Parts: sequence; structure tokens; C-alpha cells
Amino acid sequence: MQNRILLVEDDQAIADAVALNLKIVGYDCVRFEDGRAAADSLEADHAFDLALLDIMLPGMDGFELLSYMKKYAIPVIYMTAKADAASEIRGLLDGAEDYVTKPFDMMALMVRMEKVLVRTGKLNRIYRAGDVELDDYRHEVYKAGKRVDLRPLEYNVLLFLMKHKNLTVTREQLLSEVWGFEYMGESRSVDVKISSLRRKLGLNDAIKTVQKLGYRLEDR
Amino acid sequence: MKLRHRISLLAGAVLLLVLLICAGVLLLYARRTILTLTEDQARNKQSALAASFASMARYYAADTDSDAARESLIRYCFARFADQEGVLLRGDDILYSSVSVNPGEYAQPDKQSVAAALFRGPVDGRQLLIVASYEWVQADTYYVGLVRDITEVYDAIGRLTRLFLLVCGLGVGLGMGLLFFVVKRSTAPLSRLTAATGEIAAGAYDKRVAVSGRDEVSDLGRSFNQMAEAVENRIDALTAQNERQRLFIGGVSHEFKTPLAAIGLHGELLENAKLSPAERADSLRHIRRSGAYMNRMIQSLMELLLLDQGIEKEETEPAALLSAVAEAARDGLSARGVTLITVCEDAAPLPLNPTLMTSLLLNLVENGARSYDPEDRNKTVTLRATDRCFEVSDRGRGIPAQAQKHIFEPFYRVDKARSRKQGGSGLGLALVKAIADAHGAALSLDSQPGRGTTFRITF
Repeated sequence: MQNRILLVEDDQAIADAVALNLKIVGYDCVRFEDGRAAADSLEADHAFDLALLDIMLPGMDGFELLSYMKKYAIPVIYMTAKADAASEIRGLLDGAEDYVTKPFDMMALMVRMEKVLVRTGKLNRIYRAGDVELDDYRHEVYKAGKRVDLRPLEYNVLLFLMKHKNLTVTREQLLSEVWGFEYMGESRSVDVKISSLRRKLGLNDAIKTVQKLGYRLEDR
Repeated sequence: MKLRHRISLLAGAVLLLVLLICAGVLLLYARRTILTLTEDQARNKQSALAASFASMARYYAADTDSDAARESLIRYCFARFADQEGVLLRGDDILYSSVSVNPGEYAQPDKQSVAAALFRGPVDGRQLLIVASYEWVQADTYYVGLVRDITEVYDAIGRLTRLFLLVCGLGVGLGMGLLFFVVKRSTAPLSRLTAATGEIAAGAYDKRVAVSGRDEVSDLGRSFNQMAEAVENRIDALTAQNERQRLFIGGVSHEFKTPLAAIGLHGELLENAKLSPAERADSLRHIRRSGAYMNRMIQSLMELLLLDQGIEKEETEPAALLSAVAEAARDGLSARGVTLITVCEDAAPLPLNPTLMTSLLLNLVENGARSYDPEDRNKTVTLRATDRCFEVSDRGRGIPAQAQKHIFEPFYRVDKARSRKQGGSGLGLALVKAIADAHGAALSLDSQPGRGTTFRITF
């Protein structure tokens, strides 16, 4: 069951980028450009795990839209060009979970989204890529329905790749995420875990090496 | 030292001096008059005494033989007329006297005449007036004197002097008090002015002083209020201008963040994500468009900034202007399928900046072209030059009434999403307004939703 995200953003270029990004990592994303239209649609369909709202919207602004989200207990992250402290404080006081100011980067937004989903207990912890499934509730990995045993570090590398499916993750990101910030080891250890994952799960083609950057788990 | 103290002290000193001089003159005159009267009275009395004594003595003296009898007669005759002031001497002999002084020591009349001698002065602590003359009875010379104690007269003069000084003192005191009060009253507005100046300097620009009356201080108060009014207006204008600029800069930075965010996000996608060729193309197109949008905005901003530095005007033929606009607008309009119609009716040359006016008209023409939806038919924009007037009209969707008064504000958009999609910078009409203002031309619009819009620039 994918997490469903409501995206209300009137700038088409930004909405395209965010929606595409969410789609390729495995979120189900519903888009609106008009605040009023988004509010009106909630009555029929409000099964969203999280809403990403712009503040300056045609139809109805993000602050007003927040009350509709509260009605259906949809947590809200604002993403806005209003960088003043007053707007941020207002947004958070009104009950938004978080606040990102434009320009922002997608990696940072996804980290915040995940935190909100964990906090509200709605994060979907079952990840899939091809015929590989990672069940983060039970810490188990299946290949075509059959359980595969992974060492803890291998599991964590796979989890991180799954969370950023179809996106390039750098060796440095993996090191700091899986091994921890203190770990000053070589990025060679990353390569070792990646090759054992490829071998154990038959992900030779799916885990792409991106030259001079890192790896990408592809599933599309 | 405060002005009111200085004025009061100075006036007090002058008053004192004047009073003292007046009092002195009066006092001297009064003293002289009193003394003269006293002397005259004494003289008359002495003269009468001398004459009466002499005539009586001469009358009876002829009948006396012996010296003793004659002396008794003389004494009798003198006593007959004299009171306690009279003194009669013969040589050094005191024949008659009831006073303790010998007047002969002080007043010595001429022995050759009957003229009286007069002495006035202090003797033994008393002020004495002595009048004396000689009289002759048979062979003897008699000294007839009058000794009058005038100490009381001097005492009276002294009392008078003290009274005068007292009156002077009281007058000066009273005068100074009154003056101080009056000066304080008339300089009080100055103190209020000083206080108000302090408050204004501290930032209370709406402070005014109460003004009454028609004197110079009130005039100063009125001028002061005028000045304060001017300062307040100027400050208000500057504050408003500052606020506009602050909002404008806020608007600019806000407007830049959206395309920057789009560029950043699509850049991130292109760098990191596995994308289909179509998705890659979309991302690249978004980046290019966002860049172009920012470029348009920067150009408009530059023009707005340049306008602040003043413009140069030259006599320009409206017809030449219209063809320049048509040339510049051609590509953009034909891409949208919009036709530009230019009409030049009897238009005389106008003093204007051709570059800026071209930009203004081009903005209006493009604005008109954006008022059509792609599926509309007969998409035309008409650019008309008449006498001292330019008109740009379209038959597009029009501008809602509540949006019309905001339409020239920077970054105001009737429909935000559509405007950016159609290539607006959010500054086009603000620039139009700024250019019209720089030319001192009136800018008006006439629009009906669904029927179209006409912009009019009148010189």
C-alpha cells in the first residue's frame, strides 16, 4: 500500500518536478493547482497520508486550506516562497507539521515527509523493486516471494536504496546514513555491500553504477 | 539666563533709574521751595521786628537822658515786638535774648547798610536759621537778630526723602513683578515651541503647538506649525515610499524564488533520477522557461530602475512609433495567432522617449494578445494613435472590476498561473504605469469581462 500524497501547487514547473519525484520513489501523488478545487475534492476523497501545500494559491490560500486538512486529519507540510518568520510561525502555530521555503531540494523534502509519516504512524514500510520486497516491519527481504537472509549492513543499504528508488544516492550519503557520521572508512565498503546485494538478490541490472557518483536502484 | 529674566531685570533697572531721577528732581525742588518759604518768612518777621523796634526806640529815645534809662527803654521797645526768637545786641552786649547761641557769631550783616544777613546751618546739633540786620538809634548801633530753630523743617525734608525712596522701591518692585508676569505670559509660547521642537526631533512628527493672538510669537507659532506640517508630510511620503520599496523588493525576491525552485528541482531530477526521454525533455523545458521568465523579470526591473534616473524626450512622430511597435511585436503575436492592427489618425509629433514609449506600447500589445485563449477566433489587437493619445484595445477576456484598481501594481496578477504560463513577468503593467508617469501622461483603462479591454495613454 503506497502512501498517498496530496500536492497543491499552482506553479506547474514545481508541481511537475515534485510529483514526478514522488512518483518514481513510490508515492502515489494527487495534484491540484487551485486551492478551492483541492478543498472541494476532499469531501469525495480524503484518504491522504500527507498534504504538501503552497501558501499563495489561486482560489484559496494555504492557510485557509489547512483547516480543511485538519478536518480529515491530514498532516500538512507547507512549501512556499514566503520566507518571512511571521508566515512560518503562523503556519506552524495553525498546526502544520513542517515548513519548507522555496527554493528547496527534494532530498530534504523527502526526509521531512518521512519524519511526518513516521510520527503519524502512516509510513508504509513495505518497499518493492521488481520482484524484490523489503518488509521493514519485520526486517525481512523477499526475492520472488522467498526469504533472503541479509547481513544488517546489507539490509540498511538496501533500505536506503529502496527509499530513494530510481534516484542516484552517493557513496557519501550511504556512508553517513548506514554507517553513521562518525564512520571515516573508505567508500570501498559501500561497493562491497552493493556487490553482495546484487549477488544475493539478482539485482545486477537493477542496481546501476552511476559513474563518479554512486548507485541507483532502478525500477521503471 | 532666561530671556524673561533678562528683560524683567533690564526693565526694572530702567524703571528704578527713571523713578530715582524723578524723585530726586522733585525732592530737590520741594526742599528748595520749603527752605525759601521758611527763609522769606523769617526775613519778613525780622524785617518787621527791626523796623518796628527801631521806629519805636527812636521815637522814645529822644526823651531819655541817662544811659540806664535809655537801655531800659531799648529793652522795653524790643521786648514789645520780639518773641522768643528775637535777639538784640549792642556791640558785644546781649540786650535781649532767649536763645543759647550768640547770633553775632554766625550772621554778620554789613554795618554800612540796613540790609539783612542770613545764616542757615547746624549749630550745636540743631539746624538754625539766623536773620540779622543793624539798626541805629541815636548814636548807638543795634544788632537785631532772629534765631529760628528749623530742625523740624529738615526732619520733614528727611521724612519726605524717605517716603520718596519708599515709593520708588515699591514702584520698582511692583513694576518688575508686573513686567515679569507680562513677559512670562508672552514668552510662554516660546517655551511651548521649544518643548514641541524637542518632541518633533524625538520623532513625534504629528506634534503641533496651540496658537492664539496676533503678535510675533503667535506668527512664529503659526510658521512653526506650517514647518512641522511640511516635515510630517515629507516624512510620511518618505515612509510610504520606503514601505513601497520594501514591499517591491520583497515581491521581487518572492517572485524569483518560484522559478529558482523550479530550476533547482528539475536540475536535481535530471541529475539523479532515472527519467524517460519525454520526462527529460519536460524537465529541460521547465528549466529553460523558468530561466526565460527570470530574464524577462530582470529586464523589466532594469527598465524600472532606469526610469528612476529621469528620461530624455524628443519630438517623435506617432506613426514611426507605431511601426516600431508593430515590428517588435510581430514574432510574438504571430506565434499566438494574433493580428495587430495599427491606426494613425491625424497625430502630431509628441515630446517623448521613443525607446520607453515603444516598450510601453509593446507591453500593452502583448498584454492584449495574452487576453485571448488559444481557441479564440478573430484574435486582434488594435493600436491607435490620435491627437495626443494612444489606445491599445483587444476583444479578449477583459479584466474583472475588482482587479482593475490593482492591475498596475507590481506582481499583481488577475490569474497567477495563466499569466506565468503565457509569458508575463508580473511587472509589465507596472512598467507601463511607470513609463506613463515619467512622461506625465495619464493612463486609463476601460474593460468589460468577456468583451475586451482598452488602455488609453493621454498626453
